Amino acid sequence: MGNDEILLKVEHLCQYFRAGRKEFKAVDDISFEVKRGEVFGLVGESGCGKTTTGRAIVKLYDITSGNIYFKGKRVGAGTRSYEKMIESARKETREKIKLLRSKSGENSAEISALRARMREVISQQKQSIGEARRDNRRVGTEKRNLITQIQMIFQDPIASLDPRMTVRDIIAEGLVISGIRDQAYINEKVYEILEVVGLVREHADRYPHEFSGGQRQRIGIARAVIMQPEMIIADEPISALDVSVQAQVINLLNDLRARFGLTILFIAHDLSVVKYFSDRIGVMYCGKLVEIASSEELFHRPLHPYTKSLLSAIPLPDPHYEKKRIRKTYNPLAEHDYSMCLPSMREIAPEHFVYCNDEEEERYKRQC
Amino acid sequence: MEKEVKLSVRNLRISFRTDAGKVQAVRDISFDLYKGETLAIVGESGSGKSVTSKAIMGISAVNAMVESGEILYDGQDLTRIPETEMHKLRGDKIAMIFQDPLSSLNPIMRIGRQITEAMLLKNKANRKTGRKAFHKKLRALSEMMIASLTEKKALGDAEAGEKLRKVDGYIQTFDGFNRKAIVLENSYNHAKNTAEELISIIADYLFLAEKKQRTDTIFTLKIIRRKLRNIRDKYFVGGYKNALNAYMVGVNDEILSEKSKRSVKEIWRKRHTRKEGDFEVSKAVVTLCENLQATLREMLSQPDYNFFRIGYCVYKQPNTDFSQRSALEANAMAYQFLMDDYMKEFLSLAKGAVEYAEKQTLQGKRIALQALDEGVKFFQRGNFTANEAESVARTITQAVIGGINPLAVVKDNTAYTFGGALLREVERYFYYIRNNQKEETRFLKQTRKRERLLAKGKRVDWQVVPKSVVSPDEQLKNIVAVMERVCVKFYKDIENAGKADAETVCVELIDYLKEKASQVVFKLSKRMAKERAIKLMDEVGIPEPRIRYRQYPFEFSGGMRQRIVIAIALSANPDILICDEPTTALDVTIQSQILELINRLKTERKLSIIFITHDLGVVANMADRIAVMYAGKIVEYGTADDLFYDPRHPYTWALLSSMPDLNTEGRLDAIPGTPPNMIYPPAGDAFAARNQYAMEIDFERQPPMFEVSPTHRAATWLLHPNAEKVELPSAVAKRIQRMKQRGEKDGQ
Repeated sequence: MGNDEILLKVEHLCQYFRAGRKEFKAVDDISFEVKRGEVFGLVGESGCGKTTTGRAIVKLYDITSGNIYFKGKRVGAGTRSYEKMIESARKETREKIKLLRSKSGENSAEISALRARMREVISQQKQSIGEARRDNRRVGTEKRNLITQIQMIFQDPIASLDPRMTVRDIIAEGLVISGIRDQAYINEKVYEILEVVGLVREHADRYPHEFSGGQRQRIGIARAVIMQPEMIIADEPISALDVSVQAQVINLLNDLRARFGLTILFIAHDLSVVKYFSDRIGVMYCGKLVEIASSEELFHRPLHPYTKSLLSAIPLPDPHYEKKRIRKTYNPLAEHDYSMCLPSMREIAPEHFVYCNDEEEERYKRQC
Repeated sequence: MEKEVKLSVRNLRISFRTDAGKVQAVRDISFDLYKGETLAIVGESGSGKSVTSKAIMGISAVNAMVESGEILYDGQDLTRIPETEMHKLRGDKIAMIFQDPLSSLNPIMRIGRQITEAMLLKNKANRKTGRKAFHKKLRALSEMMIASLTEKKALGDAEAGEKLRKVDGYIQTFDGFNRKAIVLENSYNHAKNTAEELISIIADYLFLAEKKQRTDTIFTLKIIRRKLRNIRDKYFVGGYKNALNAYMVGVNDEILSEKSKRSVKEIWRKRHTRKEGDFEVSKAVVTLCENLQATLREMLSQPDYNFFRIGYCVYKQPNTDFSQRSALEANAMAYQFLMDDYMKEFLSLAKGAVEYAEKQTLQGKRIALQALDEGVKFFQRGNFTANEAESVARTITQAVIGGINPLAVVKDNTAYTFGGALLREVERYFYYIRNNQKEETRFLKQTRKRERLLAKGKRVDWQVVPKSVVSPDEQLKNIVAVMERVCVKFYKDIENAGKADAETVCVELIDYLKEKASQVVFKLSKRMAKERAIKLMDEVGIPEPRIRYRQYPFEFSGGMRQRIVIAIALSANPDILICDEPTTALDVTIQSQILELINRLKTERKLSIIFITHDLGVVANMADRIAVMYAGKIVEYGTADDLFYDPRHPYTWALLSSMPDLNTEGRLDAIPGTPPNMIYPPAGDAFAARNQYAMEIDFERQPPMFEVSPTHRAATWLLHPNAEKVELPSAVAKRIQRMKQRGEKDGQ
């Protein structure tokens, strides 16, 4: 790539959903960076939070905690971490005061000092919450432009296209929303983009049901590309398609990438495709990122046991190899012992991060 | 040794009536499914693979019509049999796993009931059919015995007359002691299964205790106690009775001591926080569990009793008890008793019967061949009326039925379905004579209309449906082909006659009777069904099946649901399992687990599997043979090795090269365009329009199946001797090269 400009930065992203009285942690404290012009692949089993991550980045959800920076500017922020800090500051102070009182009776000077410190912390955090809320709102043209530069391609091309709109309306909707009223300009743009994705002008007045699965996915791509985004989040764009058409769509995405210099966050569960398409890959498991590395590195030297089990499950069209393939199983209870030391994301080799604790870090480093 | 064909599909053609016209979904496909093998059908959506599988299951859509062809299974043609007959096969003999697990489960029924439902229903039906089949075979055997002895008597064999009087008694004894044996064996197996369960329960408990996870000791001990009570079959317990009693006492003591440890506060806390269990486990419990586990393992490692032999002894002398003797000793004693007292005589009688039956059927086959010969001549002469043709067909059918061996365990598909097939072809002959005229006029009319519209300069967005005219001569050939198929089969049988050892045939026969007898006696109670379901859930890899048993489908993840569906499909112990894209909705790890599961079940249960998918990678591990389908036709057919290491059809190349694998670099070779509209199937090779290797002839004529090797066939003009030689696409060539290198490396 040569270009080390960081386009998207995700910091301690948490996305929780309310599930009855409890909370379900779909994405739990993940951080990664996507550089300009690269394809970052996100893999993992279903239900591990890949799609949620993608949707949180384009702000389809209000994120619970963490920050999302796009081109160095914060476009999304969660307030949970600040709220928690306020709560803990209050609790701590209350306990300290209790302790002081029990020890030495009324000691007003120290108590008021403690309270002052608490108030300071709280006002700081409240300020951060206010900033986060301000950043979350899309006001001002600059910001609105910023967020339209991230576009998304959805998994199911049938469900994601409005059946009552013509292809022209679907593709032009983004332009119309962004305030363009010149019909001639819109038409020209739509035709141009249709040709880019391998459809023809005549298709503009048809309805989605008249197209095959591959063509529908092309419409979905056209809708994303027309806004001239810098980044595309492709959420399993090929898994609902037929075999022979999957290759067409991958080729198309590759062409677009070369032509517009797109940065792509590619979410998929088909590892062969991710390997083929991505520069760097993040592996997710149960809402956590467990390993990030360049695709070559990840496939040659997987370190985390979950990655290993994932790689050992890839089927290949080679009967002799397949008969000998042994699938490794991953049982987090048996593999890790996090009772002594809690794990975090650590750099084992250059540009190769693994979620592990001290003891594992050493073991992995020896393996390298 | 020739493999047993379980299911064979011949010249199947299925179309759908739609408003726009007739969609030809499956166009003339044929394949065989062998016992214990996996046949993979690979193709894009719309290639007709699901339609084929649904036709086999008899669940085609209402607008589907089977235009020609047959699906032969167990002496029946599945495309013709009435719905009541199909009921007996569907789910019981032929089971299916669908693509979307959620839509094939009932959302408002607990998982457990969904699994046991089929078992309970099928058990009832099975007992009925089992009894029927058992008695039928046994009657046939006794008839053959009597017939053979009568013949011998007529020839002046003195002993034959005496034996003749005994036959009935022998048959009755056989019936009786088989049932006894099954009862004994069931109880034995139940105890054995319980012991196995107990071992796994203890293993789980010990694992958690070792990892310092939360465990509920009292609850576990109670389960162990209940299980221990269930291990009481005297053959299984044998000499371990005292040891087991001691464990029982030990477990009771531990439960009491654990209970006494709990304070009132603790019990209150547990009841109200619902966090049952402790992190600490007392050492006494662990050692008790370990010892119990060891004892049970020892018990399980004992050799099995042969209840077929013991059943006879118990039947003859109800007071005999072998349970105190070791299995080997008991088996040997029982064997001696059985052989001396009964089996020798019975076997010699059965052998006589088998030989006689074979002789008779050979005779019948010769007669049938003569009749067939005359029939062929009659039909080839032509110029006959409908009544004549029908009566001739019926006489031939009678003759062919005479050539069927009543004692054969494996049914002769060709001979059994011959009658129906012949009559159908004859009927069709007269239908074509009537219909050809109509079809011609329709075609002319439509063509004229289209031309008229075009001449007016209008846009016509429909095409003329091509005429389906079959000349009567062609149809005569079909009639003759049906007869010749039986001829070939009978000639082969006559040639092979006498090669089969009469004794092995006898043994096979007795095994068959044994199996059917077990069906008659085996009554499944709800509790047993539950235990079985739980075992099945465990077998398909669902953790904590006891808890899962009572849950609803929505509480399961995608992979789990698919496993449940597999468990339901397997609950009736089918012969053939059809998997319609079972892993498409799942991700890699789960997919690989499910595939392993299906593979394991295949070897354990000797299942025959039809595996439908669009992903060639998935199939490499599973399939013994692969059929690649495109636009309703099989374009390439061969073993997995043939197809992956030596693909011949351009479509197979395209499928192989269009998906990236871990070593792919550069641009992917996508297949351009989309599959053809099957209302107007192309005249030539259907793939020609998307095929970069297409030649002119590909657009004009359909390629026949060219044989590459005895196991490998492909329908492409590229294999014609006059065709230009073409290179494999580089992506495929490279990949095969890589695979070979990898193979060599592994070989060293």
